[in-house]
Amino acid sequence: MASGGNNRSRLLLVILLVTSLFLITLDLRGVSLTNSSRSLTQSVLAPVQRVFSSAFSPVGNFFADIKNFGKTKAELKDVQAQNEKLKSQIVINEDIKGQLKQLHATLNLAGRGGYTVVAARVIGRGSASTFSQTITIDAGTSDGVTKDMTVIAGAGLVGVVKSATSSSAIVLLMSDPSFRIGVRIAGTQSAGVLLGQGDSSYLLQLLDPAGTIAVGDVLVSLGSDNARPFVPGIPVGRVTGVDHTSASLTQQATVIGLTNLDNVALVSVITKNAKQDPKNALVPTPQPTVTVYVTPAPIVPVPSPGVSTFASPSPLPSVSVTKK
Amino acid sequence: MRSARIISTTAFLVLVFVVQESLISRINFPVSGFSLYIAVLMGLISLEDRDGAIVTGFIGGLILDLSPTIDAPLGQWALVMTVMGYLFSVNRETIGDFATRPAALIFFVALGSATSLFLFLLSGLMLGENNGAISKIALIVAGNSLWTVLFSPLILPVLSRLRAISLSSRDRA
Repeated sequence: MASGGNNRSRLLLVILLVTSLFLITLDLRGVSLTNSSRSLTQSVLAPVQRVFSSAFSPVGNFFADIKNFGKTKAELKDVQAQNEKLKSQIVINEDIKGQLKQLHATLNLAGRGGYTVVAARVIGRGSASTFSQTITIDAGTSDGVTKDMTVIAGAGLVGVVKSATSSSAIVLLMSDPSFRIGVRIAGTQSAGVLLGQGDSSYLLQLLDPAGTIAVGDVLVSLGSDNARPFVPGIPVGRVTGVDHTSASLTQQATVIGLTNLDNVALVSVITKNAKQDPKNALVPTPQPTVTVYVTPAPIVPVPSPGVSTFASPSPLPSVSVTKK
Repeated sequence: MRSARIISTTAFLVLVFVVQESLISRINFPVSGFSLYIAVLMGLISLEDRDGAIVTGFIGGLILDLSPTIDAPLGQWALVMTVMGYLFSVNRETIGDFATRPAALIFFVALGSATSLFLFLLSGLMLGENNGAISKIALIVAGNSLWTVLFSPLILPVLSRLRAISLSSRDRA
């Protein structure tokens, strides 16, 4: 322990200690020294505290944030994972929605035709290296799918089963250049052969030299023996152009397929033909078009001082709507 | 201790007090809070001479008594800090010059902070105050000491520099 200090220091110490004790005594005896002095301090500090509060509010939990940094990061990671999951779920839902729509259309077509079908999903497409236009479906021999069965989608023909395994099958698309199908024109019943061109357009060669083809005609499948490979009555395509200048003996026409083969995701394989030929029952009926006739109202001159104008006596021209 | 230095020290302590009440007290330090003001006061006391330490302790304690958040009689902190100033001053010659021994300065500042808190609690007990459970008190004191040790290397060089600037040629002599 060091020396106790000189007398001056002791005196100073005593004075200050006594002062402190005096203040404490005053405070404890109820003199409102404490409250008033602290209220004054508070009123002085308040504006400064407000400034600090607004300027340094993020600093308050600085240490807590550091402490929880790992936790927050983990939570963020969890939320991000959930978000990704939900996003993929949305995509899956959209996909399911689209597939459901296609399936509904396909089953509707099959139901109207009275066919027994096996629904299948497209699980693959032929690679470019094979140069053949095919799709792979997830139904095979175990589902009753065998070679040379007709494959349809919501709008019509897709192709024919080329080969099948127990769990999958390869379908030759009707757009393949090697694809041939006997068709008839839904209206005139003229028969012909439809040839794949490698894209969405097809070539129709009419067998009947006297038959007529018109743009807009719908083609349906003619059918094969025992409905193999094609069942009759399946919509195939619509005529978009007729070649009148052809030098060949048969008439030719350009046809567009009714099924968009590029985005087909669900198909039905017809495993059993209908009891009776659906004939033209599956031919898509055109949507009614609304025609609006507008009759111009007579224009009657309205006299006006200095200005000559024309005004209609009725506020609106007459409009008539008919459905075709 | 000259009156000019008393005024400048008081002004400086008031500034630190405002920072403590407005900013430092808003920060949620782990374990328990950190009193920058007590650490600075302990630093100033340790750097002062005998009379200066006692006076600085008293002034510092009195400023601390004005804190609106303290539920204690006015003068209690002044009493405690005066005692702390005295304790520092009487041991000053034994400890030696802190300016050349920064580690010892940090240690004594942290020890002084802890001791001042204990003295405050002790005096509060004598005055009939209820300061809560001992475990909680120990945690507060330990936490404050920890943060004082950690922040002192940043604070004390500034204090030493300020003190060197504020010393007049007469004080130096």
